[in-house]
Amino acid sequence: MLTEELAKHAAEKAQEGAPELPNFITFLYHEYGEAAFVGFLHHYENVIFSWMVAVFLCVLAYLVYRKRSIMPGRWQNAVEMVVEALDNFVCGILGPEGRRFTPFLGTLFIYILTMNFLGMKSPTANLNQTLALAICVFFYVQYTGIRSFGIVGYLKHMAGDPKDVITWLLVPLNIPIHIIEELAKPMSLSLRLFGNITGEDVLITVFVGLGVSALSFLHLPVGIPFEVPFVFLALLTGTIQALVFTLLSTIYFSLMLPHEEH
Amino acid sequence: MSYQTALAIFLPLGLAIAAMGSAFGLGRAVSAAMEAMGRQPEAAAKIQLGMIIGCALIEALTIYALVTVFILQGKIS
Repeated sequence: MLTEELAKHAAEKAQEGAPELPNFITFLYHEYGEAAFVGFLHHYENVIFSWMVAVFLCVLAYLVYRKRSIMPGRWQNAVEMVVEALDNFVCGILGPEGRRFTPFLGTLFIYILTMNFLGMKSPTANLNQTLALAICVFFYVQYTGIRSFGIVGYLKHMAGDPKDVITWLLVPLNIPIHIIEELAKPMSLSLRLFGNITGEDVLITVFVGLGVSALSFLHLPVGIPFEVPFVFLALLTGTIQALVFTLLSTIYFSLMLPHEEH
Repeated sequence: MSYQTALAIFLPLGLAIAAMGSAFGLGRAVSAAMEAMGRQPEAAAKIQLGMIIGCALIEALTIYALVTVFILQGKIS
């Protein structure tokens, strides 16, 4: 019975930690658990799903890119709209110089958004995924800082731009503070995304479980869809969290770029 | 009191306290942003941007408490 399988799976998962909904890999695992390939899929399901998202986005981009024309078709129009909006967003914060960061930041936004919307098994509900993205941002930000200030300028920036005697005396205090600040950025980026998306997924899972157990006395393969309002909430938070991740990354870049025009 | 009982009581309680704190913070931030937007509707986009950054930073504190709950959840049963 499908619902009983679902309920059993949810109960099993609940004992391991955060409950999660079954996906097609889970069903494959239940049916053909002894096959090595299925075991591999089950063990690395987060990686598989994030690769699926990446491949989907690459194929979409390639197909649209191949058929581009002066008179844009439907798909080209949609993709151009997205790219233009992202470019405006990044350039609005970093200025026209910031256009070279649009590919990275835009990719981050689209990738995270698609992974959040993957629904039952968001790869972003796993700390490894979000931490990997945040570490990419961290290294790119440091590289940008070194490139725009030079090595000496970067070290000076980390020491809090000492100018007179008092600020030079404060350097031993400033350096650890700046280092901790830089290291806290990827931590907070990744934990925020992970916590929000995991919270959403757990909420949806709990309400699916409630809906299944509410009708379990009928022994029918249906439940009450209690989770529908929370799916809409998940759409909202998924968008906002992808936006926030991109926005904060953009802010971190802007802190590492020299700005005179203010 | 076993440590499982202590966790089962205080994990949700700690999360609730953290959520209450950031709810106050969010309330102040959003109300100030709304006032500013009402006073200067032409600057609404910039104010909204700043508000979203601030809200994300405030909300992160609750999320840290939630992450603690996720980490320690397995130890309760």
